[in-house]
Amino acid sequence: MISFKNLSAGYGPCDVLQNQSAETKSGELIALIGPNGCGKSTLLKTLCGIIVPSSGQVSVGDKSLSEINLKTRAKHIAYLAQSREAMPSMSVEDVVRLGRAPYRGGLGKISTDGESAIASALSRTQSDIFKSRRFDSLSGGEQARVLVARALAVEAPILLADEPIAALDPFYQLSMMQILKAEAASGKTVITALHDLSLAAQFADRIWMMHKGKIIADGTPPGVLTAENLKTVFGIKLPKGGFKSLELAD
Amino acid sequence: MKLALLILGTITVLLISLFFGAADLSVSQTLSALFGQGREIDITIVQELRLPRALLGAVIGAGLGASGAALQGYTRNPLAAPGILGFTACAALGAVTALYFGFNQLVPLAALIGTALGALLILKIAGPRKGASTLILAGVGVGALATALTGLIMNFAPNPWALSEIVYWLMGSLKNAEMGGLMVCAPLTALGLALLLFVGPDLRTLSLGEETATSLGVSLGKVRILLIAGTALCVGSGVAIAGAIGFIGLFVPHIVRLIFGPDPMKLIPLSALGGAGFLVFADIITRALTGPGTQLYLGILTSLIGVPFFLYLAVKETRT
Repeated sequence: MISFKNLSAGYGPCDVLQNQSAETKSGELIALIGPNGCGKSTLLKTLCGIIVPSSGQVSVGDKSLSEINLKTRAKHIAYLAQSREAMPSMSVEDVVRLGRAPYRGGLGKISTDGESAIASALSRTQSDIFKSRRFDSLSGGEQARVLVARALAVEAPILLADEPIAALDPFYQLSMMQILKAEAASGKTVITALHDLSLAAQFADRIWMMHKGKIIADGTPPGVLTAENLKTVFGIKLPKGGFKSLELAD
Repeated sequence: MKLALLILGTITVLLISLFFGAADLSVSQTLSALFGQGREIDITIVQELRLPRALLGAVIGAGLGASGAALQGYTRNPLAAPGILGFTACAALGAVTALYFGFNQLVPLAALIGTALGALLILKIAGPRKGASTLILAGVGVGALATALTGLIMNFAPNPWALSEIVYWLMGSLKNAEMGGLMVCAPLTALGLALLLFVGPDLRTLSLGEETATSLGVSLGKVRILLIAGTALCVGSGVAIAGAIGFIGLFVPHIVRLIFGPDPMKLIPLSALGGAGFLVFADIITRALTGPGTQLYLGILTSLIGVPFFLYLAVKETRT
């Protein structure tokens, strides 16, 4: 669905991401792992057009991203930023409503389809129970859910999420991963940057392991999370008995 | 209900302002004169002096209020105001240059040219792909340069009369308001307001941060150009006719936000309405406090109200 070829990108004159290529399929949950500063956020931002690549190209279907106008691009690729920024006094529903911005008409009117997308996003993230509350009155975990709902409300076939579970407790981490998994299962391409290797192993269909601006391993969780890769990239040992799965209590 | 009160309040203030002035006219004389009845002199006073003054105050106040709301929405900073982008200072530099050379008739045109040059310079420095903080820094820098050059011109004023002209002009006033000024100011402000209203939905999306807004199809470059052009038109045309009137763009959006909530899309038109009402109200006070031989300038009054409010906000912001 989304692919990139010989992609280099960064901030200013230095390229963080160096000459990388990969292709994805619909229905895949791809976990992007790697140490801080390895280029995960840079890759996600370049894929959705926030950063303009210094060379190479990103393609959505058979079209180059640079040939697609901003609004159309926004309808194809939803992006969930690492920062949890929103207007503090805005209601939860209004924050989620912003996900329909790419479809907005001249007077900011939202269509019936748009309203049902908003309702569905609120319900899938279980944010509908506090949809009338102010954003700043929510806990960190609840705010994260609302921002995921905002990204889901775009109803884009591609979802890029930058560390959506950072700073969340285990319950919300698991719930969030289940939401992302369900999105992929519904036929979307989901790429998410993660620091939790256990959750990556448990939920991802495919892992891209990044090191110093390059994807050094691309494959299934067992194929990528090998003792050698973990030592090279993170400087850690493979846990005895492998990575353990977590389950929500009944 | 709240909106109806705001509209009603603004219209009431506009009507009340027609009853204030140096000439002693009764309520019935004023109303008759407004509709072209009564003595010739009364009709002239009401239709050619008081009415343009009230309308000009409303137009300038609307432009300043809307600009402040748009800039606060864009920078996501409650301390942002039209003055921060340096447009007031650039317009003042243009006007002061005209006054220095004795071209008093060309003051509005010179102020508009000053604003346009300032806007182009800020756009050049802030560039199409830079963030809100770069825009503010560019605005503060350009404004400081314009203020310094204004000081230089005053330093070399050819005579005390020219200097006093400049100083009084910088204090801001609607006392010289007439229909001609309104005809220049109103269309330019209307165009500026239209640009700011157009950018409102994007400002709402920008509340999620610049990166997320970009991913939602907002063109930051387009927003910046519309915002600068809209603010420059509103502020530049106001300063061109009435001189420097500060702080309306800072505190009117705040008060409106407290009543109507934070959505920049709604805040821009509502602050325009609030700004119109407030500026006309402030002008009524200057006229009420002005006695024979003394003149209270509008810009001084709005600053005297605005500065304590600014300090209050600054302290509140640093405590939260």
